[in-house]
Amino acid sequence: MKAKSSLYRKESYYGYLFVLAPVVGYLLFTMYPLLYSLYGSFTDWDGLGQMTFIGLGNFKDILADELFYKASFNTIFMMIGIPIEITLALLLAMGLNRKMFGTTTFRVIYYVPVISSLAAVSILWQWAYNGDYGLVNQFLALFGFEGPNWLTDKYTVKPALILMMIWKNIGYSMLLYLAALQSVPKDYYEAAQLDGANSWNIFWNITFPMVKPVTFFIVVTKIIGGAQIFTEVNIMTPTGGPEYSSATVVFYVWKKAFENLQMGYASGMAMLLGLFIFVITLVQFRMNERSSKDME
Amino acid sequence: MRKSLLAAMAATVVLGGVMAGCSGNAQTGGNEAAAEGGTKQISFMFRGGPEEQKAYEATVKKFEADHPDVKVKIITTTGDQYATKLKAAITGKSVPDVFYFDPGDLRAYVNAGVLKDITEYVKDVDFDNIWKRGVDIYRYDGSNVGQGNIYGLPKDVGPFALGYNKDMFTAAGIPLPDKEKPYTWDEFIKVNQQLVKDTNGDGKIDQYGTGFNVNWALQAFVWSNGADWLDATNTKVTIDDPKFAEALQYFADMQNVHKITPSIEDAATLDTYQRWMKGELAFFPVGPWDLATYETLPFDYDLIPYPAGSTGKSATFLGSLGIGVSSSSKNPEAAAQLVTYLTSSPEGMQQLVDAKVQIPNLIDMAEKWAADTTKKPANKAEFLRIVEDYGKPMPNTLTYNSEWYQLFFTDIQPVLDGKLTAAEYVKAEQPKMQKLLDKAIEQEAKSKQ
Repeated sequence: MKAKSSLYRKESYYGYLFVLAPVVGYLLFTMYPLLYSLYGSFTDWDGLGQMTFIGLGNFKDILADELFYKASFNTIFMMIGIPIEITLALLLAMGLNRKMFGTTTFRVIYYVPVISSLAAVSILWQWAYNGDYGLVNQFLALFGFEGPNWLTDKYTVKPALILMMIWKNIGYSMLLYLAALQSVPKDYYEAAQLDGANSWNIFWNITFPMVKPVTFFIVVTKIIGGAQIFTEVNIMTPTGGPEYSSATVVFYVWKKAFENLQMGYASGMAMLLGLFIFVITLVQFRMNERSSKDME
Repeated sequence: MRKSLLAAMAATVVLGGVMAGCSGNAQTGGNEAAAEGGTKQISFMFRGGPEEQKAYEATVKKFEADHPDVKVKIITTTGDQYATKLKAAITGKSVPDVFYFDPGDLRAYVNAGVLKDITEYVKDVDFDNIWKRGVDIYRYDGSNVGQGNIYGLPKDVGPFALGYNKDMFTAAGIPLPDKEKPYTWDEFIKVNQQLVKDTNGDGKIDQYGTGFNVNWALQAFVWSNGADWLDATNTKVTIDDPKFAEALQYFADMQNVHKITPSIEDAATLDTYQRWMKGELAFFPVGPWDLATYETLPFDYDLIPYPAGSTGKSATFLGSLGIGVSSSSKNPEAAAQLVTYLTSSPEGMQQLVDAKVQIPNLIDMAEKWAADTTKKPANKAEFLRIVEDYGKPMPNTLTYNSEWYQLFFTDIQPVLDGKLTAAEYVKAEQPKMQKLLDKAIEQEAKSKQ
């Protein structure tokens, strides 16, 4: 290896200098807490002082903890919203990608929830779901349905949360799809039309594969985000819902850590959740690689 | 050149780290230096609604005026963020000098060396003139709460009284409740049934008897029936007592059988609270923190004792929030001065009472305050009776953590909906709660090691 010019070298040093800030931030604010909490998960840390090593004790207890399974089930159940949201977002994006009157207005309307504060949105929806006065039930009453008291019924609380989250997040996925749709070359569609393809064929063979990288991105980020739902649950059902039917894993972790002095136990659950997200994401990347190869 | 650049980078990182590490010390060092010059700086972290924050900030200002050598740095949060922020401060070893704490956390904080023993700093306080129950919650001798050294003083005491809508009784021509003699449970149902009405003739009920939130009101019924969540040693969950089940069933039946409350699933506070304020409910709980808001109610209301169960005596809970001093405080004396100023000095207390955010901690002041019947509610003395006579601390404040207690309310909805009887519920729930309580006891033992 021959030494390169000093100008070249100098530039690379400046390069290091630029990446230093995020790297230091990452080490300090992500790696250090992560490792600390990994260590914490093997102790009986109460979050105040005492921290004795107890090996796998926490994990043994977690795997026998009824509420942990309940919270895990709820978390996964609420991911049902992800395919629904993606489908709706793609449909909306295709609609708003047409040249028609008022598309800009609609794009704004669908995007407003995304930039609104999640806490404020949660409080609004909490009112909307109120059994007696809520907007949702007033709306249903117009059609002669008597709505339940959404957030205090264990069968309706999860669908209620899912609906709200779709409403909140759909604008973001829609925007990504819009950008993807607009970058699909027009000549593909023209060629297909000349060949006499119908609109389903055009969608299935052109649009869908062309936006696939965006779909992949949305699915991955949604699943990661979906595994970490907390704020809306904490605000709308501060006790975890009737019979803990809306509590998520992160909600349970937070309760244990900050209300019940079991930081070590909570760290253990957080580690399991992290592992779960890591494995799922890894599988998704593998599957994506394979299917991209299929396309070639 | 390249070496110097690398070195500069390394130096930046190291320096940055050192500076971050030192900043805490530098600050406290500064305080000490300032102390020599005559001013001591202390920090005070607390929570509360906007009205309360304003009142406390003003009182702290007055404290600074009376103590020119002390400067107070105020840190406030909203109610629901406070616990998280305090725990983070404790974990990060930067506990504020003076802070609010929940009495339920007292033992954990003392065992972990977070709270300072302030017994010797509060010697001058006239304890004969402060609610004994309020102070005893903050005494701890290493094994029992209620005796021993003092680790905090009550910010206030929160008696949870029962209110009734006077105008509604007058309009219906029903004799007003007796403030000396509580209703029996049967009488309470009967009075309520008389008040459930369709006032505008549209075929829908728009005036109800009551609408209690199970989290805050069930205690009154359980206790007055001679039952409790815990045994006397606070180590055994006793909800499987038939008297407990009877009280819970009575509570649920108000909605499902006697139909004196708005709607069947309605335990969410917002509705009944608003209905009470609109004058649609005859009975509703009233805490001292409600007084400022209730001043503008469109009807006259007053306080009475809760209906009495089989013991023939009323019961309800008496809440409290403590103000304590951090054991790592550099100025414990000034910090303790602030605590006594806010909790037990006539000057500080008068200002807080005038802001209508609490009832007085000082007995003579409280008696004068209660005797003033020109302001609603007339029977403010009921608050004082709860403090002195029939108020009890929440069961979860008697144990090391409240997980076991929370579970009770997490699972309770089917009982309130009438899908499960109280007797079935308490039988199935007791072992689950006992398991969590055992864990808490084990945790407490460990924290003392």
